[in-house]
Amino acid sequence: MSELVALHTQALREPVATQYLRGLAKALAAARINKSFPDRRGLEGTLKALELESHLGLYDSIYVDSRAGLPNMASLTRVLSDRTVGRDALATMEDGATLEARRGEAEVFERLARKRRYFELLGKLELAPVDSHRVLLRRHEPEQSRASFRVELTKVVSSGCYVRVVIELVQAASIWAHKLVEVDAHGEVAAGTDALRGMVYRLANFDAETLFVRMHELEGVHVERVQRGIVGPVLWAIPTDDGLCRVLEPAADALGAAWHGYLTSTRVTAPQFVVAFASDTAAGDVPVEASNDPLVPLLGSQITETERARYGLLRQRHPFRVYKDRKFVVTDAVRPLVEQLCRSAGTKNLVYPLR
Amino acid sequence: MTASGPKINLDALNKQVAYSGEGISVKSLEDDIHKERGTQNTKVEELKVLRERNVEVQKALADEVQKLRKFSDYLDGTATKGGFWAGFKEIVSYIPGFRNIAISSRSIEELLKQQYQISARRVKEAAEYVDTLKRSEQDLYKEIDRINGKIIEMAKNEATAVDYVLELKQLVDSIEAEKQAVEANSVAFRDLESKQDKARALLSQHSSNLQLYGAAEDRYASLKDNTRKLLETIRNLGQDIQQYTTAASIKLDMASAQIQAIGTAADASVVMLELKKSLDVMTESMNATTQFVSDTQVFFRRNLDGLIHELETFDETTTKLLDQNLAESRKIEEERIAAAIAKAQQHKATHGGTPAAAG
Repeated sequence: MSELVALHTQALREPVATQYLRGLAKALAAARINKSFPDRRGLEGTLKALELESHLGLYDSIYVDSRAGLPNMASLTRVLSDRTVGRDALATMEDGATLEARRGEAEVFERLARKRRYFELLGKLELAPVDSHRVLLRRHEPEQSRASFRVELTKVVSSGCYVRVVIELVQAASIWAHKLVEVDAHGEVAAGTDALRGMVYRLANFDAETLFVRMHELEGVHVERVQRGIVGPVLWAIPTDDGLCRVLEPAADALGAAWHGYLTSTRVTAPQFVVAFASDTAAGDVPVEASNDPLVPLLGSQITETERARYGLLRQRHPFRVYKDRKFVVTDAVRPLVEQLCRSAGTKNLVYPLR
Repeated sequence: MTASGPKINLDALNKQVAYSGEGISVKSLEDDIHKERGTQNTKVEELKVLRERNVEVQKALADEVQKLRKFSDYLDGTATKGGFWAGFKEIVSYIPGFRNIAISSRSIEELLKQQYQISARRVKEAAEYVDTLKRSEQDLYKEIDRINGKIIEMAKNEATAVDYVLELKQLVDSIEAEKQAVEANSVAFRDLESKQDKARALLSQHSSNLQLYGAAEDRYASLKDNTRKLLETIRNLGQDIQQYTTAASIKLDMASAQIQAIGTAADASVVMLELKKSLDVMTESMNATTQFVSDTQVFFRRNLDGLIHELETFDETTTKLLDQNLAESRKIEEERIAAAIAKAQQHKATHGGTPAAAG
């Protein structure tokens, strides 16, 4: 039903794949995520496209990251490349009615009829990108030789989670020799330089605080806000006739330990999900520095005594505060373990039901 | 009964001989064969387009594999005397979007992901050929069915023509024998002669039909052989592509997590060996796809060109045969007309008047 088929990759076959995808889609809808997270519609579109009801049996499995519990890059790429190839294929394929009429002739017509419907559906869906990067001009003040930008990056990070990073920064024109963002001749459209793109892409794996410091230290750059919205990890378990199908390599953190404890002490009779949605902000207007994330404390609370002084100096140089939060969407049976996790960490988190 | 007497059965003259189909002539046979060839031509054209697309894909794949190989070789330290960093700028220039960009500018993880997506799309494009070929295969099966129907129809018509031609030949011979028994140029003789002319006219017409239906049966049989060859070519090609693309696709699916992991690691300038391993997996996948494209090139060269040549030869042969039939028919007709004119002239010379109308 579910096996590790490659590095951090597990293959889900039916009927588990459909239950998993539907559970995840419901969790996304229940989480009420805002714009600091990856676009919900794209993710929902991809989950729908991966469903058996969409590809109509053209594939026999989906690939899921065995740590993050989310569809992996291969799955995301599959639907994206199918949509691209499908656009061309639809132009040369016989129309739906003809293919339907020929279904009885041979297997290929029946398959083409299904493929056509799948390609048509993909054309209508918004799909999650593997990577998406854009730079928006917020404010242009030519008289001050200054411009404000918003940099947005969505990507699957190395942990397998799906992350959106939003950075709001101001760049002064006097040092545009090292510019990160270019404004067009009309001063209306901004484009990130490769240097900016590369830097943000590489740093997206790190927390908002690190990103803020690294960007802010660039000469002439003033960072106003760094926000990260993270979808995942997803802990899931689906009972089948052949046994329990579950996420195979969850993180060995407090949540992972609680989940393991639950699975080993309970007979799971219905699909169970714990879906985490973490947010991480570093900005000057954050009122109180705190972590309401039961899994990730503030950086300041983790560093050693020897490093504390240096860290203190660094923070004095950069005017920002950090706020971390995490909300969960859970099925009823596993709600107690998440609530216990939050109590133990001393955090008060939103826990939405998944039904 | 007529003046020819009771000994001869003249039923054959009034017999309604029914051929199935729309009747046949040299022109209609030629037209039909050309029409039937239309399906083959369409499929051959599809294969030609596929061949052109195959060349494009091969070129792109060769380019991409070269980039990956270079990258992999440099990571291995085998491609540059100056070591890894000395060659790094050259390496990254092979990755899309990386040319002329300082090494620190772009994320290797991002570039590898882009390459991964390009490769995945390329394999899908190649896999799409399979359904195109399977659809063509089915169309050709139907075409063979239709040609078989034509062959059977032609064979039945030929058999009908043979029976009737033999019957008419027997009648002509019987009338000839009967003519010997009556006085030359008598009324009975002229009556027999008139019947014999009718029988000969029918004999001529149905002999021609016999020849045409026979030729048509052979031509349709040849057309079927060529259609079958085309079908087998398409089926084999489809099976090969399916094998290759499935293998390449599986390798890519399996490599995705590695590529992502090593991309991140490469950004941190560590775990170069892992990076190389992962690239090797991706290169294998690209190699499999390149191999298939390359093989299909050979396949096309060996089969498609041969088929087109055979089909063209077939067309030439058919046209030649039909032309020959046409020429022979004209010759017979001309001889008949010449004979009639000669007879008419002889009659005029003998009797000094206008020849009586026959029948």
